[in-house]
Amino acid sequence: MEQEFDAIVVGAGPAGSACAYKLANAGLQVLVIDRGKFVGAKNMWGGAFYGGDLLNLLPNFCEEAPFERYVTRQKISFLTEEDCLSVDFASPKFKEPAPHGFVMLRSKFDRWFADKAQEAGAVVAPGLGADDLLWDGSRVVGVKAGSDELPASVVVACDGANSGMAQKAGLQKELSSEDMKQGVKEVIELSEEIIEQRFGLSGKEGIAWEFVGSCTQGLPGGGFIYTNKDSLSVGIVVQLDALVKRKVQANDLLEGFKSHPEVARVIEGGKLVEYSAHLIPVSGINMMPELSRDGFLVAGDAAALVLGTGLILEGANFAVASGIAAAETVIEAKERGDFSNESLSMYRRLLEDSYVLKDLRTFRKAPHFLENPHIYNLYPELACDVARRVFIGDGQPRKTTWDNVRDSLKGRASLLQILPDLWQGKGAI
Amino acid sequence: MNIIVCVKQVLDPDIPPAKFRVDSASKKVVPPEGIPPVINPYDAQAVELALRLKEKHGGKISVLTVGSNGADKVVKHAISMGADEGVVLSDETFEGSDSFSVAYILSKAIEKIGEYDLVLCGRQAADWDEGLVGSVVAENLGTSLVTLAEDAEAVDDGLKVKRVTLDGYQVFVVPLPAVVTVSNEVGQARLPSGLGIISAARRQIPVWKAEDLGVDPSLVGSTAARRKLFALSVPARERKCEIIEGETPAEAATKLAVRLREAGAI
Ligand SMILES: Cc1cc2nc3c(=O)[nH]c(=O)nc-3n(C[C@H](O)[C@H](O)[C@H](O)COP(=O)(O)OP(=O)(O)OC[C@H]3O[C@@H](n4cnc5c(N)ncnc54)[C@H](O)[C@@H]3O)c2cc1C
Ligand SMILES: Cc1cc2nc3c(=O)[nH]c(=O)nc-3n(C[C@H](O)[C@H](O)[C@H](O)COP(=O)(O)OP(=O)(O)OC[C@H]3O[C@@H](n4cnc5c(N)ncnc54)[C@H](O)[C@@H]3O)c2cc1C
Repeated sequence: MEQEFDAIVVGAGPAGSACAYKLANAGLQVLVIDRGKFVGAKNMWGGAFYGGDLLNLLPNFCEEAPFERYVTRQKISFLTEEDCLSVDFASPKFKEPAPHGFVMLRSKFDRWFADKAQEAGAVVAPGLGADDLLWDGSRVVGVKAGSDELPASVVVACDGANSGMAQKAGLQKELSSEDMKQGVKEVIELSEEIIEQRFGLSGKEGIAWEFVGSCTQGLPGGGFIYTNKDSLSVGIVVQLDALVKRKVQANDLLEGFKSHPEVARVIEGGKLVEYSAHLIPVSGINMMPELSRDGFLVAGDAAALVLGTGLILEGANFAVASGIAAAETVIEAKERGDFSNESLSMYRRLLEDSYVLKDLRTFRKAPHFLENPHIYNLYPELACDVARRVFIGDGQPRKTTWDNVRDSLKGRASLLQILPDLWQGKGAI
Repeated sequence: MNIIVCVKQVLDPDIPPAKFRVDSASKKVVPPEGIPPVINPYDAQAVELALRLKEKHGGKISVLTVGSNGADKVVKHAISMGADEGVVLSDETFEGSDSFSVAYILSKAIEKIGEYDLVLCGRQAADWDEGLVGSVVAENLGTSLVTLAEDAEAVDDGLKVKRVTLDGYQVFVVPLPAVVTVSNEVGQARLPSGLGIISAARRQIPVWKAEDLGVDPSLVGSTAARRKLFALSVPARERKCEIIEGETPAEAATKLAVRLREAGAI
């Protein structure tokens, strides 16, 4: 090598680019490698980026970033085979003082973000995958890529779900399908006008729409639709072990979801331009590996820093926040000239003090709670049935809503079945 | 042997057909968002041949590309394979140039580099498949030209080139400097090594503009184009599926044969 790197960042997703950007800005020699043919080539998500981390990190984010729309409505729908009961939340607070959620397509965003890191001075090398770590005793001293050995003072693993690097470092065990959800999504092209018409949007306004119920046929998971500029991202996310056990294909669930009348209506006439699938680590803090060892840190999905509460699925903001914390740690370690585990343990403290680990702790019971099948069949059924009784008159004398709820429950579930769910849910989500 | 390789960025041939779009009004291809262009595969093979020549005879490999946005990526690709250096030729006035203007721009850059024995081009650019630029460059430079090379080596009195023909090959010996266009029979272009990728990623690729090259603005750009495009559209392909049934396989086969004859297929 012409020159040794202070840090090698493995993976140019949101975690890796945030980390590299911050490191390069501090003047460190940083190399980012990504196994994709180009940065973002195979990356996918729902998706919207929530919160202020990118705005804080990148001063001109709003003007420069290739985002599709802001989230100005957040909608949650409960589905049965035919019906759909929705909560549709709109608020000016979504935009003020700064936009809170950005709908983005990963292939564009990831490349832009990596270019920012490059402009800041990082060396970004796509088309290069790390196959293994380099060791000096128990200290990580670089990575192996094919036949090349790339030395560095510290390696930051940002290689995403099922991180090969965290496993090679002995921090993460082989992951089990119980800890994973499978996401599949299609990008469906429609004109800007049609999207704005169908969703009641204008300008850069956009919608993030989550679905719970029949779309996963009782399996833990849900569906989503995000409005891009001139396309929709339509997908579902399902518990991986449940798919395997029930011998169901995620694609088939997606097809079913797309044929639900409420979904079919908004995608009608659209052209399928992209299909992709990806895993999501969903057991939160319960599956989080040790976050560092001598010469090594792990951030983002690679460290399972994903928050899923059933109502929200966020990982990209956790990836960026952890990437930044890793960079801050490396910058100080470099000043001290000490990349030992003890020196790098600052990383864990930074995460403990931020929303990253606080949120994961608050919702630590959510992953278990969300395995309850009632959430995906019983409750959407109940909700839609009550709505049917309340809103669709059948010429009979009306009943109070409470009586309608009671009638709906009859034959479906007893209070004794529901109370434990409520009790569990209270502490979990 | 000092070799100059001309490389062009083209749409990634791996783009799914659903993403390929043309704008018939402006008669332009709309590049798909999020999928960056790649080096023309034949040009990567030209770089491959250059590397083999350099391995055998020594020398230096320079790479040239005419292009805007992100054109440095294809130069970097060539450098990651092992080329020594490269330049992007880019200027607002180059927009909309036809093959002749592109060849003119390349020729000016080659003259500016000055010391060269061999110019390699791909046999054709995988987007429009014109196969013009190499020949026009040779004409401009006044050098000898061999097209469709599958192999080459330096000999005493110049370059020995094996040229692909429909059912065999020809062998030429041409004096240097020469322009040679490289065919896919040269074989696979090597994959960049890790260190190659990193050293290319570190490079700043210089950009030469019209005035650096002494390019006459009246000879480039859309106004200079001698070729006018009248219409551009994606051919509509219709697919129909008919299921031919029968009680027995023999009956189904008979019906199929009748149907195929009706359709004029047999
Ligand atoms: C269907 C779906 C919907 C989602 N929706 C949302 C959403 O709406 N909002 C949200 O915040 N989050 C969402 N997420 C989660 C979010 O996408 C992830 O949490 C986030 O991308 C994690 O970022 P990361 O940088 O840690 O990893 P990734 O984005 O996975 O990036 C990892 C990178 O590492 C590279 N890599 C992997 N292995 C190697 C190797 N050995 N060598 C070199 N490079 C390697 C990969 O090519 C990749 O570029 C969703 C996820 C899915 C699957
Ligand atoms: C119908 C039509 C529409 C077009 N529309 C556009 C358009 O909208 N935008 C646009 O940019 N171009 C457009 N072009 C292409 C442009 O007019 C030139 O044809 C092109 O830049 C020159 O390359 P070629 O395809 O003729 O290359 P060929 O002659 O097929 O290329 C042969 C070899 O020449 C070399 N070479 C060719 N081009 C370059 C280059 N740019 N830099 C370095 N080496 C090169 C390479 O080694 C290549 O393998 C269009 C062409 C056609 C036929």
